[in-house]
Amino acid sequence: MEEPKNNTGQNLGIAALITAIITFVLAVIPCVGLIAIIPGIIAIILAAVGLPQAARNNSPRGVLIAALIIAIIAVMISLSQIFVAGKIAEKASSGKWPTDIQNIINDVQDNVVKDLENANISIKIDSNGEKVEINTTVDKKNREKTLENLEGNDTLKTKHETKPEKK
Amino acid sequence: MKQNRRKSDLIKDFRVRLRNEPYLFINIFFAGVILLIIAYSGIFSPEKNNYPVTCIHELLTGKPCFSCGLSHSFSLIVRGRIDEAYQWNHYGMRVFLFFVSQLFMRIVFSVFYMKYSDTRKQLIIVDCIGSGLIFLISFWPFILSIISGIAG
Repeated sequence: MEEPKNNTGQNLGIAALITAIITFVLAVIPCVGLIAIIPGIIAIILAAVGLPQAARNNSPRGVLIAALIIAIIAVMISLSQIFVAGKIAEKASSGKWPTDIQNIINDVQDNVVKDLENANISIKIDSNGEKVEINTTVDKKNREKTLENLEGNDTLKTKHETKPEKK
Repeated sequence: MKQNRRKSDLIKDFRVRLRNEPYLFINIFFAGVILLIIAYSGIFSPEKNNYPVTCIHELLTGKPCFSCGLSHSFSLIVRGRIDEAYQWNHYGMRVFLFFVSQLFMRIVFSVFYMKYSDTRKQLIIVDCIGSGLIFLISFWPFILSIISGIAG
């Protein structure tokens, strides 16, 4: 004669399965993945409590085992989210990973410096019919040439040659 | 009097069915959860920006994650502003479609489960495989972000 089966642990199994599935969906979403570990542990506890009860009374254990497997996978995903967040935080704090704003500031700085190296400045003043115009170039190469003309190539060379070496 | 009795008998039958058939209970529960998500998206508006959920990932790392702006995106989809929803979160639409498809599947599979008692086992297997595949397709960018994060 076949042994009669009862539903001991079935309610726990359903509760565990529902919690495990919700945990699984939450664990995959990075925004809330870190907190999914809490319902995940609850689901594991529910399944772990229900399994021996079901085994003792020879009731079906399919739902409980499914809940336990899903909950364990969900908790593992949630733990990996913590690991990923930790890695990102470490990179951000060490300065290896500049923020978007820092990148923009660096680009702007580079552009300003480049523009100033080859800038042509023109100032026009118009006062009571008198016009004054000042034109100047801040070209780096031109400045170097004028400096060489003023001081002479020899003097510049001798300066470089006689430069004392730093130890 | 008779009508009231019939009603109470029906409710009793349904309760007994739910107790004996966990699949139906789970389906109804998840349909309720999905309806709550849709209600949440409808209640909280992107204009007021009164969402209770904050991104823990961003709080910890200082960098926005792949799922940031998902609540805004859902709210905008519910309001029919699809273009703006894409701007808030590029993957918002596919995640929202996952929940809508699940709501539809819970209802349809429950009806089939009650109607065709001979093919219940096959129905549950089809449901598990189908839901798993839809889940993978919908959440793939998030899963990929976790994998790439672990890989460094």
